[in-house]
Amino acid sequence: MQDTNISQNNFEQCLKCSLCTTVCPMMAANPHYPGPKQAGPDGERYRLKDPGFYDLTLKYCLNCKRCEVACPSGVRVGDIIQASRLKYGRLSRPLRDITLASTDFVGSLAVPFAPIVNGALSLPIVKIAMDAILKVDRHRTFPSYSRRKFTDIFEKDLPSQEGYKRYVSYFHGCYVNYNYPQLGVDFVTLMNACGYGVRLLDREKCCGVALISNGLGKQASENAAVNMASMRKALDGGSEAVLTSSSTCTFTMRDEYDHLLGIPNEDIRPHLMLAVKFIYDRIESGQISLAFKEMPGRLAYHTPCHMQKLGWTVYSTELLKMIPGLDLQILPQECCGISGTFGFKKENYPYSQKIGAKLFEAIRDSGAAAVITDCETCKWQIEMSSGYRVYNPITVLLNALDLEKTKMLNAE
Amino acid sequence: MKFDIIIIGGGLAGATAGVELLKKGRKCCIVSEGLSLHHTPMDEYLALGGTLLPGDSVIVGIWEEHRLKAVLTRNLGNTPLEADTFLLCTGKFFSKGLKATMDSIVEPIFGADVEFDPCRDRWYDSDFHAPQPFERFGVKTDAEGRVLIAGAPCENLIAAGEILAGEIDIIKSAKDVCRTLI
Repeated sequence: MQDTNISQNNFEQCLKCSLCTTVCPMMAANPHYPGPKQAGPDGERYRLKDPGFYDLTLKYCLNCKRCEVACPSGVRVGDIIQASRLKYGRLSRPLRDITLASTDFVGSLAVPFAPIVNGALSLPIVKIAMDAILKVDRHRTFPSYSRRKFTDIFEKDLPSQEGYKRYVSYFHGCYVNYNYPQLGVDFVTLMNACGYGVRLLDREKCCGVALISNGLGKQASENAAVNMASMRKALDGGSEAVLTSSSTCTFTMRDEYDHLLGIPNEDIRPHLMLAVKFIYDRIESGQISLAFKEMPGRLAYHTPCHMQKLGWTVYSTELLKMIPGLDLQILPQECCGISGTFGFKKENYPYSQKIGAKLFEAIRDSGAAAVITDCETCKWQIEMSSGYRVYNPITVLLNALDLEKTKMLNAE
Repeated sequence: MKFDIIIIGGGLAGATAGVELLKKGRKCCIVSEGLSLHHTPMDEYLALGGTLLPGDSVIVGIWEEHRLKAVLTRNLGNTPLEADTFLLCTGKFFSKGLKATMDSIVEPIFGADVEFDPCRDRWYDSDFHAPQPFERFGVKTDAEGRVLIAGAPCENLIAAGEILAGEIDIIKSAKDVCRTLI
């Protein structure tokens, strides 16, 4: 009986306890936002009766999913809000939102002209013009574009991936491909040392998170279909798993494809994961051994909201705790406030910084030399707002490894 | 992933127990489906360096006879969470520690024995303000607090807090259990 009267995102299970409203970062910063309970399960009842009840303030939802983590009844509060944005949100999108959301397209255009684009994006006059014309906030520091794409470096510069007994496929994501290929290089080096060869997917599209949050559901679904087909092929072709280095891409492809876009991914889901989970599990089962060097010093780990939603923070932190000498401080879980493209928009910038303030203060108080996190947009926000350098756990692990010894341990 | 003690449920009982055990140097992990409004003990638990899996839930236990070897959770998938001792602090109905069906009350994770009135008509008092009999339902344990399953005590699964049958002082119950463990 109970199983047949529950809708897809189960708003009927909401008991109105309001725990979600106590953890919503936007609600604390912005009095215009009605909060997850009202925007989600409460509003859904009205929207089902008449779409005219759709509330434009739902655009303030960061899709951080902290409401879902807090919910004792398992209601997919954030999914309800995002799904109704996709369903009822207005159809015409400003050029700015489309530009910010089209990470693949813009990245491909920017990479060949990276020095010019990077130079231009840091000029005050360009920032003022973008602020006035595009409504992209002038205070925001843009992530710089790489001179070469990761895929190009992978094919031409990296050691041959032939001859390994075990393989994984790598979903690099837009950030590694267009902005920071070094993380991809670090990933390949680490996996090779662990005895795994790395393959790229036949076709990889942006995971679609920015398209979803900017209401471009159709394009996101097209990307999702391409990615799922490529991953299916990779797994059929002998890759043990499809690994990633970004918590948000991973979360989007594992959960949002099914919950928001209706793209089936049940067969892929158990094999699609962050590299930190894969490495941790393989260490536990005795298939991978890591040999570390001493790495004295204090580093602080920041849990991205989507990492918390995945429930996978422990993989990163437990791996980092293996590094001898490292004093790892785990920062209290607070939203950094950027939420992907959200914090770039002029009208959102003040909220973005207000939300992140508690985290920036905790970082400054931590006494750490730098910050570690699994999300690239958290990295942009923290680097810009706190002045601290931010690294992915993969880079930190790689730097702490005795590479030759690790290679020997994992050679068959 | 190996801990000394895994605490299932991050409410008042679970977080209080976590703080007590961390202070005695035990390596703890709390699995908490949904958060609790009892922030103080949880904040202290985190400040002491306790591991928290927020928004996660235990799906199944891996048993060796009457000994719980590990649990699997929804988010960690095939990574087993191993411990010497497991504390069951999942509370009553609101937090899903107990689940009411049409004719019985069940403990959904391990199928522990539950004390309840078999006559459904006696679950409620029609006077809304009277003490409600269903509030006293809860899992059965032996004298040392070990959870009973099919009448037999589990060696290392101990219940604390509101999930227990009878009138429970949550904080006292959590602290008492920790005393037996330390």
